[in-house]
Amino acid sequence: MVVQVLNAILAVLIALAAALAYFWGTNWLLDKFLKSDNAAESAEADKRRTAVRPWLFLFPALLFLTIYLVYPVFETVRLSLFNSNGSRFVGLSNYWWAFGDGQFRQSLINNFLWLLIVPALSTAFGLVIAVLADRVWWGNIAKSLIFMPMAISFVGASIIWRFVYAYRGPDQEQIGVLNAIVTGFGLPPQNWITMVPWNSLFLMVILIWIQTGFAMVILSAALRGIPEETVEAARIDGANEVQIFFTIMIPQIVPTLTVVWTTITITVLKVFDIVFAMTGGQFQTEVLANLMYSWMFRSGDFGRGSTIAVILMLAVLPIMIWNVRNANREEGTR
Amino acid sequence: MSTVTTSAPMAAAATSQDRPGFFARLRIGRIIANLALLLIVAIWTFPTVGLLISSVRDADQLAVSGWWTALTTSQSQGASRLGAASTQAEEGGLYVISGDIFTDDALALQAVGITSREPGGFAVGDVIEMPQGGELVVSEDGAYRWTSPVAFEFSGAPRVYYVASEPPVFTLDNYVTVLTTDGVGQSFVNSMTVAIPATLVPILIAAFAAYALAWMSFPGRGWLVALIVGLMVVPLQMSLIPILRLYNGIAAPFGGQAQGYLGVWLAHTAFGLPLAVFLLRNYMVGLPREIMESARMDGATHFQIFTTMVLPLSFPALASFAIFQFLWVWNDLLVALIFLGSQDSQLVLTGRLINLIGTRGNNWELLTAGAFISMIVPLVVFFSLQRYFVRGLLAGSVKGG
Amino acid sequence: MHKTLLTGASALVLSLAATSVFAQDIARGEGDFSWDSLDAFEAEYGDVSGSLKFWTPWNSPEESAQWAAVVSYFEETTGVSVELGSSPNYEEQARIDIAAGSPADITILPQPGLLADFASQGALVELGADSTDWLAENYAAGESWAELGQFEGQDGEVRQYAFPFKQEVKSLVWYSPDNFAEAGYEVPETFEDLLALQDQIKADGGTPWCIGIESGGATGWPATDWIEDIMLRINAPEDYDAWVTNELKFNDPKVVAALDVFGDIVKDDANVAGGTASVATTAFGDSPAGLFTIPPQCYLHKQASFIAASFPADTQAGVDYDFFYLPPYEAHAELGRPVLGSGTLVSITRDSDAARAFIEYLKTPLAHEIWMAQDNSAFLSAHSGVNLDVYSSDALRQQGEILLEATTFRFDGSDMMPGAIGAGAFWSGMVDFVNGLSAQEAADQIQAAWDTID
Repeated sequence: MVVQVLNAILAVLIALAAALAYFWGTNWLLDKFLKSDNAAESAEADKRRTAVRPWLFLFPALLFLTIYLVYPVFETVRLSLFNSNGSRFVGLSNYWWAFGDGQFRQSLINNFLWLLIVPALSTAFGLVIAVLADRVWWGNIAKSLIFMPMAISFVGASIIWRFVYAYRGPDQEQIGVLNAIVTGFGLPPQNWITMVPWNSLFLMVILIWIQTGFAMVILSAALRGIPEETVEAARIDGANEVQIFFTIMIPQIVPTLTVVWTTITITVLKVFDIVFAMTGGQFQTEVLANLMYSWMFRSGDFGRGSTIAVILMLAVLPIMIWNVRNANREEGTR
Repeated sequence: MSTVTTSAPMAAAATSQDRPGFFARLRIGRIIANLALLLIVAIWTFPTVGLLISSVRDADQLAVSGWWTALTTSQSQGASRLGAASTQAEEGGLYVISGDIFTDDALALQAVGITSREPGGFAVGDVIEMPQGGELVVSEDGAYRWTSPVAFEFSGAPRVYYVASEPPVFTLDNYVTVLTTDGVGQSFVNSMTVAIPATLVPILIAAFAAYALAWMSFPGRGWLVALIVGLMVVPLQMSLIPILRLYNGIAAPFGGQAQGYLGVWLAHTAFGLPLAVFLLRNYMVGLPREIMESARMDGATHFQIFTTMVLPLSFPALASFAIFQFLWVWNDLLVALIFLGSQDSQLVLTGRLINLIGTRGNNWELLTAGAFISMIVPLVVFFSLQRYFVRGLLAGSVKGG
Repeated sequence: MHKTLLTGASALVLSLAATSVFAQDIARGEGDFSWDSLDAFEAEYGDVSGSLKFWTPWNSPEESAQWAAVVSYFEETTGVSVELGSSPNYEEQARIDIAAGSPADITILPQPGLLADFASQGALVELGADSTDWLAENYAAGESWAELGQFEGQDGEVRQYAFPFKQEVKSLVWYSPDNFAEAGYEVPETFEDLLALQDQIKADGGTPWCIGIESGGATGWPATDWIEDIMLRINAPEDYDAWVTNELKFNDPKVVAALDVFGDIVKDDANVAGGTASVATTAFGDSPAGLFTIPPQCYLHKQASFIAASFPADTQAGVDYDFFYLPPYEAHAELGRPVLGSGTLVSITRDSDAARAFIEYLKTPLAHEIWMAQDNSAFLSAHSGVNLDVYSSDALRQQGEILLEATTFRFDGSDMMPGAIGAGAFWSGMVDFVNGLSAQEAADQIQAAWDTID
């Protein structure tokens, strides 16, 4: 076991050495072979070196990205036009199937609900906590504790919440917190995980629990960036805290709010582990990423699995374009 | 903007002196803020606290009572078999079967019974008429005496039931069990093996690319940045099968296996790159232009500038990405499941936990202990390096961080 | 010997989790085991070397330890180093590994339907006609067992691709003899009696059944067993066969009637420990625990023979628990005593001498006897050469008898249906059925899924 970890560290050293050797080596080659003593040629060579060098720096990263992310996108689109084992071209029939399939539509609806609820609630909670935490002396401790779930895996979080939602028959002692509270009020215990349609909401709670910390940290920084004078000016004008919050603070952090909201949205679209660990997509909690996994690996139908993947990617596309345009705008201002 | 030039605290102090009512208002506001935040923090930490407490509780107690009752005495029902007819002895005309119903001395007997439906149907010391004949008396220490004027004739060994109370028991046995017999220990090492290279390798590759995108001018740069930002949102599930097939195409001719650590490291490196390049580029763009330019004037090459100036200056961003990537790799389920495989010796912690849910779904003492073990490393990393982590988040999301 | 030690040690370093592989609780040469068959095997295959990776459905700690004991003698005699693997989502993982082109060397699955998929993709290695002949000669009802492992290959030719090993009887109901005796209940002889017993238990203030169908990615399968068993008790075996191939539609009234029988049991909160709501989220392996609690949460649990491996470690077959055959309807006396069975099939997914040798090892009676003799084992063998004395309990012997007394024997239907149904729509349809869909709706939903596969 120790050997295994030592091998891993050795691998790191080899990889870093190889990377350094590549960057250093190619630079050396570039300088050596594209060099000339002739003044006129030298300027020409300088130009060429300047043109080539960025690509030497970029090459390894681009190679990785091409193989691991760009190629699979095209491969998946191709597979989605073929039958279950990729042997026969079937055109768009997998797409027709998808939109006629009840489970697929269910997943679309669920994904949509996730998109609607999780980013909104995470951002809202994050904002409220950020505001509150700035007002109390133990704010940093509070922020640390609320931020903590970010470090926990989706699977670990699922176990934590399975325990919260644990259900036992009415005649037994409840060991899940939620049911203990419910029975404490004299109500019958509920099997939260199978309670359609609320069960999807109970799964969303897990992601909200994780993502609120993220929203809080970013928004807290943004709030601190608000010039104190504007807030004071409003206070002197007789505005109360709530008014200040809505009319002064919120408008100033709108750009940050959108960034937080989109980042969480992207996470939500790809949500897989939580559904996989909590329900496996049963009880009408199916989402696209898990449905895709089911078709690919449980039913072994790569055509349909790829089709769902392509649709999932198309759903992400608007956010992707928005993100890209944002980045380009930044590029332009520089 | 406004003409107020005093610093914020001073301004606040000034206004509170000017207007007495404000101070009182502030106080109520403070109290509400404190209470509200306290409530939220309690809700947020409650589930994790429950997990931690449950993981050190005795399995039997955990199964019958909630973790919030961990410090109270719990009640348990049990059964024990009486001696068979063959163990009877004759004592002064009476046939006697005797023994002790307890194997665990920590229990305090409260009631006994002879049917499982009513395990506490009789008080301790009561004379119980047995359906097999004779009379049974169980004393407080668990010793029993079953007597009959005629010889016992029954088959098997009848059960006697009891209700007993037990003081709270805390134990680390759950941890020992999951670490050894349930293989969590092996998975811990596997997670480490995956996470260390998968965290460190992408950094250098990304740093070079980020530098090129930040400080070198070449045609198509804007498009490349856009492409990398776009790749950040590609659902990585769709990469799994094409890549695995690719691996197999490469490995098979050499008689190798497609699944293995090398494949996971490379995959995690690639999947982490878009974020790494994006984060580092954002940070490097913010480095002072003058330093770069003066170095260029002095005849330094890009390579020299990068290695001697940019890399050291970017340390905070590198660290924050490393934390990001480490948490992501450590907490990943799918990539490891697909590229490493799910043989016992290959499972990472997340995969092991999924298996535990499947095979030990009701053994909460083991599930909670396993989950906690999986959380230890990320929590330590998280709390010790939180500052960098936050800075990285800000660099990625708020411009210029 | 040295070789064994070395590979054993290196495997130990590789895999702490699998240390139980090397624990042999039965010393070679002792007891009534067919050691001579192992000696003969060693003489022929003792020189085989290499390594073998296994992928099996045996993921509970108990079953995997029992399986490890079987493998350990193969390892010892050949010097092949082995690595065991399994997970609650073993079907999915097997598919991933095969799709990736990096399967285990030996893949063992209980679903002929799934293996048929793999065979048609060319992922399985042909075992050869001599294995077919061997099965026909040495297994009781050997030809039908051999047929279970015959699939169409990539070229459409039917060949022997899998070797049945470990048989199970599914038509069993488990109970606690102590609880039955105290309450004065009798083992029912007919399905009508069983339903009467169920009502009697409720009238006495108890809960009749423990039912749990959660099983990770395979959630729902225990309910398919109920449907299959009931199908055989209210419809002719020919109907059952037609149902498996979808000649009899899933939403045919005959099938819907079977769903209704199960629905009447499972959808009454008073019938199930924890109520109907708990059924879909209770792990099937955890569900029988209610038989052993005090007071008992339930009195009856229907599950295949293998469930005994999940019972509490300190319980003893025949004393703390026992079973009876799920009885037939008196009203359908013409159907006789049908028995539903299942079994696992061993296939080679990566050809090597070691893999071939392992199939040969499974032909030795000893490989079967080792598992038969394990504590709390649930292993039944159709191998006619095994010594029945080594069964670890009379209970297992009786299960073997149930297998023999069957007037109709049918293999688990969902396992033979196409993967998308038998390991997909049927499972999820059962979950939806238990959670509220009517029998007709659930059956329509499953049939609709069947209509979309080509």
